[in-house]
Amino acid sequence: MSSARKFDARPKVAGTYRFLDDYNNIEMMHGLLFYARFDHGIISKIHLPPDFNLNEFTIVHASDIPGQNLVPEPVADQPFMADKEVIHFGQIILGIAHHDKKTLKDFSEQIQVEYQKQPATTDIKQCLEDEKNCFGKEILINHNFTPKSDPGCTYLHKVYYTPHQEQAYLETQGMIAIYDDQKKSMFIQGTMQCPYFVKEAVETIMGSAIRQVIVETSEGIGGAFGGKEDFPNIIAGIAALLSYKSGKPVKIVLDRSDDIIITTKRHPARIEIESWTDRISGKIRKLTVDYRLDAGAYQTLSPVVLARGVLHSFGTYNIEEAQIRGRLFRSNTPPNGAFRGFGAPQAIFAIESHIDHIARELGIDLADIRRINLLRKGDEMPTTQIIQEDHIKECLETVISWSDYYNKKARFEEFNHTHSDKKGIGLAIGFHGGGYTGNGEKILKSEVKITIDKDELVKIYVANTDMGQGAYTTLAQIVSEALSYPLSKTIVEIPNTDKAPNSGPTVASRTIYIVGALLQNLAYKINAEIPDNNLSSYIKNHPGQFPREWKLQFQPDPDIRFDDNTYQGTAYKDYSWAACVVEIYYHCQIYQIEVKNIWNVLDIGRPVNRKIAEGQVEGGNIQAMGYALTEFFYKPGFGRMHGFTDYILPTAFDIPEINIEFINTSSPIAKGLGEIPMDYPAPAILNAAQHALGRNFYELPLTPENIFQVLKSSHNTKIAQEDN
Amino acid sequence: MKISFRINQKDVSLDLDPMRRLIDVIREDLGYTGTKESCGEGECGACTILLDGFPVTSCLLNAIHAQGKQIHTAEYLAKTEKGKLLIDCFDETNAVQCGFCFPGFFVSSYHYLLNDGEPNLEKIKYALSGNICRCTGYTKIFEAILLACDRIKKQV
Ligand code: FES
Ligand code: FES
Repeated sequence: MSSARKFDARPKVAGTYRFLDDYNNIEMMHGLLFYARFDHGIISKIHLPPDFNLNEFTIVHASDIPGQNLVPEPVADQPFMADKEVIHFGQIILGIAHHDKKTLKDFSEQIQVEYQKQPATTDIKQCLEDEKNCFGKEILINHNFTPKSDPGCTYLHKVYYTPHQEQAYLETQGMIAIYDDQKKSMFIQGTMQCPYFVKEAVETIMGSAIRQVIVETSEGIGGAFGGKEDFPNIIAGIAALLSYKSGKPVKIVLDRSDDIIITTKRHPARIEIESWTDRISGKIRKLTVDYRLDAGAYQTLSPVVLARGVLHSFGTYNIEEAQIRGRLFRSNTPPNGAFRGFGAPQAIFAIESHIDHIARELGIDLADIRRINLLRKGDEMPTTQIIQEDHIKECLETVISWSDYYNKKARFEEFNHTHSDKKGIGLAIGFHGGGYTGNGEKILKSEVKITIDKDELVKIYVANTDMGQGAYTTLAQIVSEALSYPLSKTIVEIPNTDKAPNSGPTVASRTIYIVGALLQNLAYKINAEIPDNNLSSYIKNHPGQFPREWKLQFQPDPDIRFDDNTYQGTAYKDYSWAACVVEIYYHCQIYQIEVKNIWNVLDIGRPVNRKIAEGQVEGGNIQAMGYALTEFFYKPGFGRMHGFTDYILPTAFDIPEINIEFINTSSPIAKGLGEIPMDYPAPAILNAAQHALGRNFYELPLTPENIFQVLKSSHNTKIAQEDN
Repeated sequence: MKISFRINQKDVSLDLDPMRRLIDVIREDLGYTGTKESCGEGECGACTILLDGFPVTSCLLNAIHAQGKQIHTAEYLAKTEKGKLLIDCFDETNAVQCGFCFPGFFVSSYHYLLNDGEPNLEKIKYALSGNICRCTGYTKIFEAILLACDRIKKQV
């Protein structure tokens, strides 16, 4: 396990690494996305401001689209730009370009849209309560479930809520489009996770008006976390249209408030869980989960998020009888999308919180309830997948002893007897399936390419982007190790759809797990073709054989099957596992929770680069801490957030001590890592808060206002009382 | 209006709207794109520069605020002795992820190193309290600066 340095660290610190807005040329026009700013209505007229020279502007509307006005997505129901009807606040109506940024902004601020107002659903909690807002295909998993109740069991019925979460990548979204009229080709450069998605989007909107689309990423991608999975499709499409119409290069870089208002977020969820637990043994006999996500105004990729959420909603527990239902709900808010975890953080928050509530109800310790119900080797998930390993148990036991969980728990309780400030300790476990769900990788058929030049450079061509997670360094490391070739001569080329084969999107913790494994196999294949196993000297001795190119495509394992209708089978070939203990300090005078310490024990298989892996865990933990404590997007009576002044992100002062241990590190497989550290800390923080305050919580975030509400009311136990 | 100042040890004199945002002057008019814009409202510190040696957010200042002053950006500081040492530490700890926030963190921590430099975590957190990073969880950034402080201590 090495910790090779990142090749891009130094220029990034010095400010010489180029992000999208650092690319400029004299010709370039600035573009802007003009959006509705009302929730639902029929447009009757758009008034452009009179005091500007309209000839200087390029303006595009739905009617200018030569191709199709539908963004390609798993469900292609969202237009690039609204034609007549607007169904959410952030819906784009016009694309506008001008040479001067300031003029462009002044102009757009004075545009008036006349519309007939229509009824809108914008209260997310209400939306998720009301089944008539349900849309799209429902998921139902039934695993031996019998509705009859069991007399020896304790029945618990709870509803959990999670809010929107904004990705808040530091670099806002942006795209440059350069149209070449001679070649009828469109070159797109941008900050994105999925160059081939963007290519398809531009081909869709431009139709037969152009012959070729080439997509390349900017050198640096300033964070993404899922936020740059599908929204870049829209920006690229409109930038392309503006460049096509103006004949000039067009650069759109969103300012922070536009970015936060119109782009996708983590789906708010309402998750209702019923459980029947044996009073004597603490074994959960039956479980039902009703998992609901607010998709926003369109479905887009939400069905895929729903699938992953449902497939993580039963947690890491062995449950004999389970029924799980997953549904999408429609509101008049911007479509939600991908965010690190992709449905799993909501699911794991609910099931882990529920396990705690069962433990409290039965008077069982939080660690014991998990031990009793843990998924063990040979156990069957509700999807009928058989678990092949006992690593979750090892994660759990390691984190308990390493964090000194039992002693601390007792000490904190003593402290709490005599202090008004409180201490709490919480525990949560989680898992995350690597790669696309179900048959996804089979359909994707990712391909990778390696070339070796005369100048002895090994070049890796993939469509996966490095948005900060260190993918280029880690992938180069995998190839360099497999080829026994110097890392300094092994490089990943900036993704470009004209040069790199489609190795699939940079999502689903799949870059190292799937693409890295493909590259490793390809490198082994190259090795096998080099007679004396010494690549350097072979290149020197046989210059005539180079440059040379090798490709490899993903081959699905024929024994792995998943039924997309019944959700039975192997949903994910490999899972990463983790357990976590969190210590908090509650400041009673300001109703505020401070996280003091987080212990993580993870099985991600082989960490290719230890320090990069640690960085992923630390970053994921802190995003989860924000999710648990401060981050939300709508506040009833207050409206939406507009930037970093009202959307509160963790800063240096909020950072706890973070401890990380990896187990199973000699595994031959590097499993998924990017998402799992986001999945489990929020419920651990919540149950630490319950430990500290002796109250139950069912909803994130635990802001001082929300804690105050819970402490001041007894309503939090109402549901339980009604049901008992 | 004529606005004259010194940036990265070079004198410049530009004809500018005095209310033009200083970050735009630095990035667009002078091409120092190492200074980044993220929030545009003084919250994130990505646009931090040294103005007469003091870290400020250039997105909240106007061109007129630079009149007669000295500005240093990340690009210049990266070439100084202390700057190089600090970059070594960010590199060795693998502290950098997407890097978009880093020129700002670099300027703030450079200022800390120059004016205090004590390897004290609480003080370092205070020095970085105006910078937001969404990728790293800050832990390795603290580690890097502590390392840099230690190294400088050993040098003297
Ligand atoms: S861009 Fe200036 S503080 Fe964020
Ligand atoms: S490294 Fe990405 S925001 Fe700090």
